[in-house]
Amino acid sequence: MAEPLTIASTEQDRFDRSRRISWLDLDSISKSRIFIVGAGALGNEVAKDAVLSGFKDISIVDMDTVARSNLNRCLFFREEDVTAKRNKADAVARGLRDLYPDATVRPVVKRIEDVDDCDLRTARVALGCLDSIAARMHVNARTYSLGIPYIDGGMEGFSGKVALSLPPDRACLQCGMNRTHAQVANLRFSCTGSDVVFHEPRLAAEITTTSIVSAVMVREALKVVSGHPEMLLTNAFFYDGARNSCEELEIPLDPDCPVHRTPSSGYR
Amino acid sequence: MPGPQDSLERLQVGENPIISLEVQMTGDYLPIRIKVKNAETGASVEMELETDNTIDEVIESAATFWSKDMGAYVLRKGKKVLRGGSALDAAGVRADDVLELIPDPEGG
Repeated sequence: MAEPLTIASTEQDRFDRSRRISWLDLDSISKSRIFIVGAGALGNEVAKDAVLSGFKDISIVDMDTVARSNLNRCLFFREEDVTAKRNKADAVARGLRDLYPDATVRPVVKRIEDVDDCDLRTARVALGCLDSIAARMHVNARTYSLGIPYIDGGMEGFSGKVALSLPPDRACLQCGMNRTHAQVANLRFSCTGSDVVFHEPRLAAEITTTSIVSAVMVREALKVVSGHPEMLLTNAFFYDGARNSCEELEIPLDPDCPVHRTPSSGYR
Repeated sequence: MPGPQDSLERLQVGENPIISLEVQMTGDYLPIRIKVKNAETGASVEMELETDNTIDEVIESAATFWSKDMGAYVLRKGKKVLRGGSALDAAGVRADDVLELIPDPEGG
């Protein structure tokens, strides 16, 4: 005999309040694997929002270790992680398991360039939480060719941006780049082509902008996974926290963009 | 190779700054004036340009004029981000248009 429904039973369901949002497909969300690239400030917030939204299968990639200067904006990092030189991906994975023990979290301590396509291919969505233009271009190109929607976040001080690359027909992240992006990307690398950093500015960063950018990123991921392309950003969301303004802007597809010369397997 | 700083002329007419890109005088030289706004400060500058100047050149000139930090910027017209390599006429930029220079934040 079935248990009678009681008021209290709704309080036992972790996602009861989420189920009240009609367009959210919680079944699909719980079964979809997401791939978070970067476990810094945005990576922490994106991972937190993702797991609280019901994502249970999460890979998070970062090669770096926790520094004390990360602690003003990274939820899952602790003072002891600094002392232990803990990998950022491991620290975030630990925090996510603590927040939602049912989640399967795979920390990947590697450069994204060294991550095999096999690891990326099964992702339903990739979320870029990176701090370099070159790495963004790399992830954008790989996800586009694999047909994986890519949601990229960026921030500096009170400025933020979220861009969505949706293969195979829509503009990608690189379509919106210009010569200033190339100059910044080139500045980070030595003329030998190796990844020796010449110039690594310490960008202004604080948690309130991080929170807004990460929230928009995860919300777009929820729309993708719930099967609501009509609700997605056209291309990019720009946020100006100093003026409390935000706007969605269109990035036209660039026919000369090298990413579009490679056939994409299409948005799944 | 000359960069945007080399070709940038700074003029001051009344209270309104005007910058113009160095242009090669040709028979069909037809300058247009546009206004570029700085999204971060609200300041604006008038620019005198040729229709075959590129969006990249406008971005670099405006960023130099405002002594912006090294970083990525985009230029928007209305709700659209303009493609860097496009000439102004191909990008749909017309005389008296108001464009806005926006930082494209790199941090994560």
